[in-house]
Amino acid sequence: MSDIQTKTDQSEKKEEWEPKIIAFLCNWCSYAGADLAGVSRIQYPANIRIVRVPCSGRVNPFFIIKSLLRGWDGVVVSGCHPGDCHYISGNLVARRRFTFLKELLNLFGIEPDRVTFMWSSASEGDRFATLIKKATNMIKKIGPNKKFEKTW
Amino acid sequence: MVIEEENQNIEQLIRELARKLLEEKQVDVIIGYAKGTVPLSSAPIVIDKVEDVDKLIWNNLCYINLAKYLVPRIPQFTDPEKGDLKVGIVSKGCVGRALIHLSVEQQLDLNNIKIIGIPCNGIINRKKIEKEIGEREILELSVSGDNIVVKGRDFEQTLPFDEYENELCKVCKVKSPPTIADICIGECLENPVIMDDFTDVADFDSKTPDEKWEYVKSLLEPCTRCYACREACPMCYCNLCFVDQNKPVWFGKTTELSDIIIFHLIRALHMAGRCVACGACSSVCPMGIDLTFITRSLEKIAKERYGFTSGIDPKTLPPMMAFDMDDEQEFMLEED
Amino acid sequence: MGEKLLNKSDIGKLINELGKEYSIYAATNDKQGNIIFDKIEKAEDILLDYLNSKIPPKSVLFPKVETLFEYEIKDDDIEITNPKDLYEKRIIFGIRPCDAYSFQLFENFFGYGQFKDELFKTKKENTILFGIGCNLPRQTCFCTSVEGHPHKKDDVDVFLVDLGDKYLVESISEKGKNIVQKLSWLSNTTEADIQKAKELSKLAEESMSTKIDIKKVIKIFQENFDNPIWDDISMSCIGCGSCTLLCPTCHCFDVIDENDPMSKKGRRIRLWDTCQSSIYTLETSGHNPRPNKVQRFRNRILHKFCYYPTNYDLIGCVGCGRCINICPVNNDLRNIFNSILKIEKKEEVKVV
Repeated sequence: MSDIQTKTDQSEKKEEWEPKIIAFLCNWCSYAGADLAGVSRIQYPANIRIVRVPCSGRVNPFFIIKSLLRGWDGVVVSGCHPGDCHYISGNLVARRRFTFLKELLNLFGIEPDRVTFMWSSASEGDRFATLIKKATNMIKKIGPNKKFEKTW
Repeated sequence: MVIEEENQNIEQLIRELARKLLEEKQVDVIIGYAKGTVPLSSAPIVIDKVEDVDKLIWNNLCYINLAKYLVPRIPQFTDPEKGDLKVGIVSKGCVGRALIHLSVEQQLDLNNIKIIGIPCNGIINRKKIEKEIGEREILELSVSGDNIVVKGRDFEQTLPFDEYENELCKVCKVKSPPTIADICIGECLENPVIMDDFTDVADFDSKTPDEKWEYVKSLLEPCTRCYACREACPMCYCNLCFVDQNKPVWFGKTTELSDIIIFHLIRALHMAGRCVACGACSSVCPMGIDLTFITRSLEKIAKERYGFTSGIDPKTLPPMMAFDMDDEQEFMLEED
Repeated sequence: MGEKLLNKSDIGKLINELGKEYSIYAATNDKQGNIIFDKIEKAEDILLDYLNSKIPPKSVLFPKVETLFEYEIKDDDIEITNPKDLYEKRIIFGIRPCDAYSFQLFENFFGYGQFKDELFKTKKENTILFGIGCNLPRQTCFCTSVEGHPHKKDDVDVFLVDLGDKYLVESISEKGKNIVQKLSWLSNTTEADIQKAKELSKLAEESMSTKIDIKKVIKIFQENFDNPIWDDISMSCIGCGSCTLLCPTCHCFDVIDENDPMSKKGRRIRLWDTCQSSIYTLETSGHNPRPNKVQRFRNRILHKFCYYPTNYDLIGCVGCGRCINICPVNNDLRNIFNSILKIEKKEEVKVV
């Protein structure tokens, strides 16, 4: 009897805090890859909410920062591999943007693991699931997003 | 040479070149600095007559970046008949850099400008002096030898120039504007190759994220969202700034801590690869916030990743206007 | 009559006693070393030997970010709550006569006409002003030119004069008399003290280095709206808005709604706005009556020195000189007045 009780105690403790992660996926590669992962029944954490964009180059740094302001615990942006962009060079433009954004977020003291960027193609359902699992674990370790809380 | 002597030489150089340009009608107006009515300031002026050339001065309080007066958002040098007026502009290094960068971004035509290059010897940090003097009223400030002499009603203090110089001026590598044939006259930098090891911001990288956050918080807390930094910066020339946009409203306009930090973060992002490190933003802040570490870190990122320093070469594109197949991407998430 | 003396060593006692019933706001240092008017927790934080504060004391009654109301969305209703500090009893201690006069201009603005601003009115009614006279005005001060005086007493409730090691305390209004009566431990004055206060007042007035014929300036402003001199005067202005931020009489504000999507709560706030912003007069149609910097610059100067005297018979400036000190391009108001005074009158006097 006592064994069963301690097991339910443990599972209740595990339900403490689940991070909420927003994922911007490019329509042609990453979104299709996520779809493939779903169809192939590959398990990955259900913490992400997906927003479909036509290309990773559409992702304005404002989206990422506004998500952090609104209380999202993590942001993931995923696009096609360099050289494979449906719009030829959208992801190359995005890569420069993300470089500066990441460096500035580090400079201002926002944990580097909160915002992650990755490349994942339409046939890599497995890779998509692995990377999302990795990102979720990283964000779970650093805890909830408390820095931008409103004080009123 | 001591600072006082250098100042006199620079002033003479400015007046000589200005006189020459106006007499030979190479320019219609000259923008420069005049003596301020309050001890710790200088006033930008525009002159168009040879007789007014003696109003131009140089002291170590010329902190405004004069390139701001030429951005298209402040159109004042066009004549209905003549079209664009030819403008001569007194340029220390950062002003010249700003002009070159604005021409790379196609905001002005360098052929309408004559850059009067001068060898800048540093700008005094006004806030540091005010803090040192406290609440006593400063009636006069002058440079004597290598020292700053501050006089009040019943006190006189001598301070060493090197300590009370702007932080950005202490590490400046571009003291005169980079040379451009036929446009830059006076003292200009030939073939500038900028070597910088960024030791002043190196130790910031070793802090933990929480330490950095606390540092940034305590630095930016007094901000009152007056936007003087944005108005003084020559690179901020957007017709509608992101804080004023309301379709959609991106970020708050209040003085809550999160809103203040976001404003400076995004403004720094928009300055990436464009900031010319003139320090005008820190000098004009009414609350005395020193944004040096942000401008230096931005320069460091652009230099180390892309080998780019803004405003040196009129033909190189800045990092955010170009891309490369082989860019570094070590920050991308990869499988283990 | 009814003047009392307060020793400087007893300031702590005064603050502690008054602090039991009122919240005390006085000049103090913020973290960066700027002098602002803020709530005082300990008597040692008060600055008494200051020239003038960076941010004017309007920030006490008309704060930079002020909540108009808060709302919370409940299951079948929306609950609206008024701001919590509306009826807080305050004392603003150590305000200069110029800043005290600015509150009169605020009362005129917020109380004019049919719709009165209840927030400001309530806050002002629950506030007592302790003024301190200026014995040594700054070089940039010009309150005597705009119908003020470094020892003007009319706009405060209690007036203090710094006599060296003690203050002369004079109650001006009914509120002031009541408060001074409660402080029964204040010592009595001698004739010498009252004489010294009068001398200090005269010395302060004589040491004002800036004198401007404001009536003439106002007249010229009223007749020269389209004069091309405005282009020259506003040439170096960069439109930063620092002058409006630090001006004791500037009162323009913006109203914004904010919401917290996580908790179904929100609030409506008003923030300081500046007429120097390029979108200040931008209408929802897209039309902007003041698209250029010259027009916005001219609007600010005329608002203080032409529209206010014409419409309300008040001068909209208190002569504190903060704008002159802070302007990053040193666009000195006094130089503007001098340029304006040189304009010849439109109607030339007939030479017979």
